[in-house]
Amino acid sequence: MTTAQTMTLAKARRIKKFNVAGAIITILTVIGAIIFAFPLYWGVITSLKFDQDVVRPGLNLLPQRWTISNYIHVLTTSNIGRWYLNSLVTSVSVTTIVVLMSAGAGYAISQLRFPGRRILWWMILASFMVPVPALIVTHFVLMADLKLINTWAGVILPQLLAPVTVIIYKQFFDSVPKEFREAAIMDGASQFQLFFRLYLPMNWGITTALAIITFIGAWNSFLWPFLAVTSESMMNVAVGITQVRDNFGVYYARDLSSAVLAGLPVAIIYLLFQRRVTQAIMLTAGIKG
Amino acid sequence: MASVELIDITKRFGAVEVIKGLNLSVPDGSFTALLGPSGCGKSTLLRMIAGLEDVSGGTVQIGDTDVTHAEPKSRGVAMVFQSYALYPHLTVAQNICFSLSLAGASKAAQKEKGDNVAKLLQLEALMGRRPAELSGGQRQRVAIGRALVRDPKVFLFDEPLSNLDALLRVQMRLELAKLHNDLKTTMIYVTHDQVEAMTLADKIVVLDKGVISQMGSPLDLYNHPANRFVASFIGSPGMNFLPAVVRMQPGGLHAGFEGGAVMKLTPRATPHFDGGQKVEIGIRPEHVALTNPGQGQIDGVATVFEQLGNTSYVYINTSLGQIIVEADQSVRLHPGDRLGLTFDPARAHVFDANGTAWAETT
Repeated sequence: MTTAQTMTLAKARRIKKFNVAGAIITILTVIGAIIFAFPLYWGVITSLKFDQDVVRPGLNLLPQRWTISNYIHVLTTSNIGRWYLNSLVTSVSVTTIVVLMSAGAGYAISQLRFPGRRILWWMILASFMVPVPALIVTHFVLMADLKLINTWAGVILPQLLAPVTVIIYKQFFDSVPKEFREAAIMDGASQFQLFFRLYLPMNWGITTALAIITFIGAWNSFLWPFLAVTSESMMNVAVGITQVRDNFGVYYARDLSSAVLAGLPVAIIYLLFQRRVTQAIMLTAGIKG
Repeated sequence: MASVELIDITKRFGAVEVIKGLNLSVPDGSFTALLGPSGCGKSTLLRMIAGLEDVSGGTVQIGDTDVTHAEPKSRGVAMVFQSYALYPHLTVAQNICFSLSLAGASKAAQKEKGDNVAKLLQLEALMGRRPAELSGGQRQRVAIGRALVRDPKVFLFDEPLSNLDALLRVQMRLELAKLHNDLKTTMIYVTHDQVEAMTLADKIVVLDKGVISQMGSPLDLYNHPANRFVASFIGSPGMNFLPAVVRMQPGGLHAGFEGGAVMKLTPRATPHFDGGQKVEIGIRPEHVALTNPGQGQIDGVATVFEQLGNTSYVYINTSLGQIIVEADQSVRLHPGDRLGLTFDPARAHVFDANGTAWAETT
């Protein structure tokens, strides 16, 4: 056998070995995807069954009888419209304020030179290490003192602490070549113009990604809104759907249809901006890692 | 248009003084090149004129106004950056009109000025594109357009051609020269490329370690370098430097080379001349002639022969070190050929131990 033939054979073996490994990884990935997707599938399918069929023995992967009566029931008998509104107002407010505040703070720490800049930066980094649940009691007392319990402001304010977005913005602003800044300064830009007309538009991608992930986080937040709101009319969707169960007893199909309704906007946003969400998750993971 | 005066300018970064008490007068309407190697302080100087860098001491004057502590936007200067610094999220038109837009100019006024600049720089067809969709030369023109739209009193260029390929660089050099000819605006141009400085500028300022080594017209610097640094920096290929001993002999000043060759020098000012002084004789490649072995001042062996079409360069190993000779395009040589070399004494430069040139006297 010639050297060339030996090499070709070795290459063929390597390719074969690689394909086997690739196939195993693909199978494992598909199994993982099924495991993760199954509860979602099960939830959606269950919400389309009659309650009597839900508790029927056996694995019924598809409903024997399809119905949307659970959705109609939840939509017509619960406060879900109001909860949607609350979720929308609080989530949009949190997203807008967090993005603007974080971008501003990130810009200041990255681009401006002022006394205490380094200390401020270290404080933001340090605050990143404090878990939010550890602050819950303090937040509650503060909001109660400010008479903001059962208000939108009370739900929004504690959710504005977002050191990770400040860190991400700072890093992105750091990476903007200084020539852009200097060219704009030569063109007569003020600090506000630099921020709004140069740094923010140049990092539009990251702003979109952070806005989406902040919105999803705010929409899904449960613990703080659950504590800060006792009045049903001020609840967000995530908290409100717990009331569905209370009102109607344990009706799995109705509970799951309310859960599907609660998660639907986030799912739509995710489907529309999938790439941006992935980018944002990678960014935050990169920071955390 | 305005002149620029730099008076006793110093710049320190911490303990390091990069500009050391520099005085420079840039005449109104001139094209002045700041030339020097990396780290000589030329870009820092330009940035101080622009207002992007604070001065540690001294005064910057544009026209009759002291702008030492003025904001960049109120100095009446515009700058073209090495990297062009075109805003990637804006179109060509928006880039050009950015300063007008910041100043609150109406859309109509922006369009009118933008169109005028685009016409001057032949950018009309590119106005809707973004910088990423432009070639290097087009980006360069947009960067110039962005500076032009502000009607500055002084244009500042920070190595604007260094990112372009050789062909485009020549083309853009021509366009810049035309632009200066048309506008007659004061232009200060930073470069480390002596060819750019020689071809574009009517005044070159050679900087070395934060001080002006020499300033003057391109030909003045080429023909009468004040010191070894300028002599070595101006000209490509560089000047040959040959160790020699200068003696006063009957008939005048003579340079004696190692190996016994002697060359009579033209009359020169000879500061601190004590007879038998060690110097370096500087001679440009085009002022050395090739002859047969034994017929010139020294002999050598060709090591490399470069043919450029219109001319040739021969690298010759001699007892005085490597000497580069510019030869006629018809000359054909091979590595290993033995040659004689004759120096043109009228074009020889003498540098003393400190590198200072002994000026010719008539």
